[in-house]
Amino acid sequence: MTRGEIQSRILEIFKEEFEIENPGLDDDLRDKHEFDSIDALDLLSRIEDLLGSSLTQDEKKQAMNIRTIHHIIDYVELMAAKRS
Amino acid sequence: MERRVVITGAAAITPIGHRKDEILDSLVNGKSGVAPLREDDLLSGYIHSKVFGTVGYPIAYDFDRKYRKTMGPVSFYACQVAKEAIEAAGLERGFLSSGRVGVAFGSTHGSPTVQRDIYKNFFSRSQSRFSSIGAVDYLKSMVHTTAVNITKMFGITGRVIASSTACATSSQAIGFGYETIKFGMQDAMVCGGADEYDTTTVAVFDNLLACSTDFNATPHLTPRPFDLRRDGLVVGEGGGAVILEEYDMAKRRGAHILGEVIGFGCNNNGGDLILPSPKGVAEVIRLGLENAAISPDQVDFVSAHATATKMGDIIEAKAIHSIYGDVPYVTGLKGYMGHTMASCGVIEAVITLYMMEKGIVAPTLNLEEIDERCAMIRHVTKLHEFPIKIASVENFAFGGVNTSIFIKKFE
Repeated sequence: MTRGEIQSRILEIFKEEFEIENPGLDDDLRDKHEFDSIDALDLLSRIEDLLGSSLTQDEKKQAMNIRTIHHIIDYVELMAAKRS
Repeated sequence: MERRVVITGAAAITPIGHRKDEILDSLVNGKSGVAPLREDDLLSGYIHSKVFGTVGYPIAYDFDRKYRKTMGPVSFYACQVAKEAIEAAGLERGFLSSGRVGVAFGSTHGSPTVQRDIYKNFFSRSQSRFSSIGAVDYLKSMVHTTAVNITKMFGITGRVIASSTACATSSQAIGFGYETIKFGMQDAMVCGGADEYDTTTVAVFDNLLACSTDFNATPHLTPRPFDLRRDGLVVGEGGGAVILEEYDMAKRRGAHILGEVIGFGCNNNGGDLILPSPKGVAEVIRLGLENAAISPDQVDFVSAHATATKMGDIIEAKAIHSIYGDVPYVTGLKGYMGHTMASCGVIEAVITLYMMEKGIVAPTLNLEEIDERCAMIRHVTKLHEFPIKIASVENFAFGGVNTSIFIKKFE
C-alpha cells in the first residue's frame, strides 16, 4: 500500500464512519472535529481491517497519542511495514 | 423541606402513535398497536406467541453522529422522547447544565439488539473482523445506556438514577424523580423509560406460559385485560418521558403545567419473584395514598397495570377493590399496545395526562366480556367524557416490585 493509497482509505473511513469530510491533514482531530477516544478505538478496528491483521495491545496503546490525519497515515505505514 | 412537584413536559413513542394527537386518535377510535411478531434468525421460529406491540412507523431522528455513536435502538427512543419533553417544557440549555437538573431513566436491560450482536460475533468462528466487539458496544448496551445518553445529548450534569426493574422501571423513575425534587436535591428531573423491539423478552415470557397465543392470526384482538378470553400478555416496545419540576420555579418561569405528582408508593412483595401479591399490590396503593395525603374516594381514575395474564388481572382487580371499592374508573391501557416493558409506567402516565387534558376516559381495548373474577371494579368498556381530577398509575414487575403514582390535574 502506497502512502497515497493509505491517505485515500483513511479519508474514506473518516467520511463514511465518522461523518468528517475532507479534514485538513494537520487538523487537531479532537479540537476541530470532536474526534474522541471512542472514535480512536473504532478507527483502530478499521485499521485492522485495512492491514488484514490484528494490532497488539501495545500497538493500540501507541496509537492513543495520535492527533492528526498525518499521524494516522504515519502509524498505518509503520504497522504495514512491520507486517511485510 | 417538602416541595410541590409538577409535570411541565411529556412525550411518548408508542405502538399506537408518537405524538399526542396520534395517541389520542387511537384511544378515541379503539386502534390497536399490536402486530405480527417480526421474523428474526434466532428465536422467532420457536416462540409460540406471534404478536408484538410494535412501533411500526418511521421516526425522523436528527441526532448528530457524536450522539448516535453511543446509542443502541433503545437510546434512540429515550433521547427522542427526552428531547420532545424538554422542548415542550421549554427548559434552557444553561439550566440543564446547572447541576440542578438530573435524569431518572431506565430500560429493562439496555440494548438487547447490541448485546445479541456482541455474542453473535463472540461465538462466530467465521468472523472476518479482528476486533469483533466494537469500542462502544458496551456504551450502547449497558443497563444505564438510556439515562447517560440523555445526559450527554443535553449536557445534563445533575444526578443520574438508572432504575432497571423490568415493568416498574419507568414508574420508579418518575417516583424517584418526584422524591428527588420534593426533598430539594434537584429542581427538575427528566424521567422515563424505553425498551426496543426484542424477541428474547418474548421468549422469556413465552417460556413462562405468560404470553398470548390464541390471537396470533388477529393481533389487534390481544391482549385482553380483564376479559374472559384473555390468554396472556403481549410484549411491546416504546419510550416515554416526563419533565418533573419544582412548582414555584415552574410557576415563576411561566411554564405550562400538565399535572402535579402528589404521591408515590413503592414496595416489594417480599417473596415470589413472578406472581403478583394481593397484599403487596394493595399495600403499594395504600402507601401512595398516604404519601399523597388523600383518601381513596378522591381518586377518580386508575390506570391499571393489567397485563392480561390469567392470575395477574384477578389479583390486581381484587386489590383495587379492597382499597377503592368500585368508585374510580379503571382502564387497562395495555389493551391498546401490549406491555411496553420498561416504558409502560411512563407511557401510561403520559396517556393519563393526555386524557386529563382532553377530559376523556378511554376504555380498556378488547374488554368485551368481563371475567366475573375481575368484575368487582368499575371497568371502562366505552369512551367516556369525564374530567379526571386525581389519577393513579399502577405498575408491578417481576421481582415483586410494585409502584403507584398519583397525579392531580392542575387547575
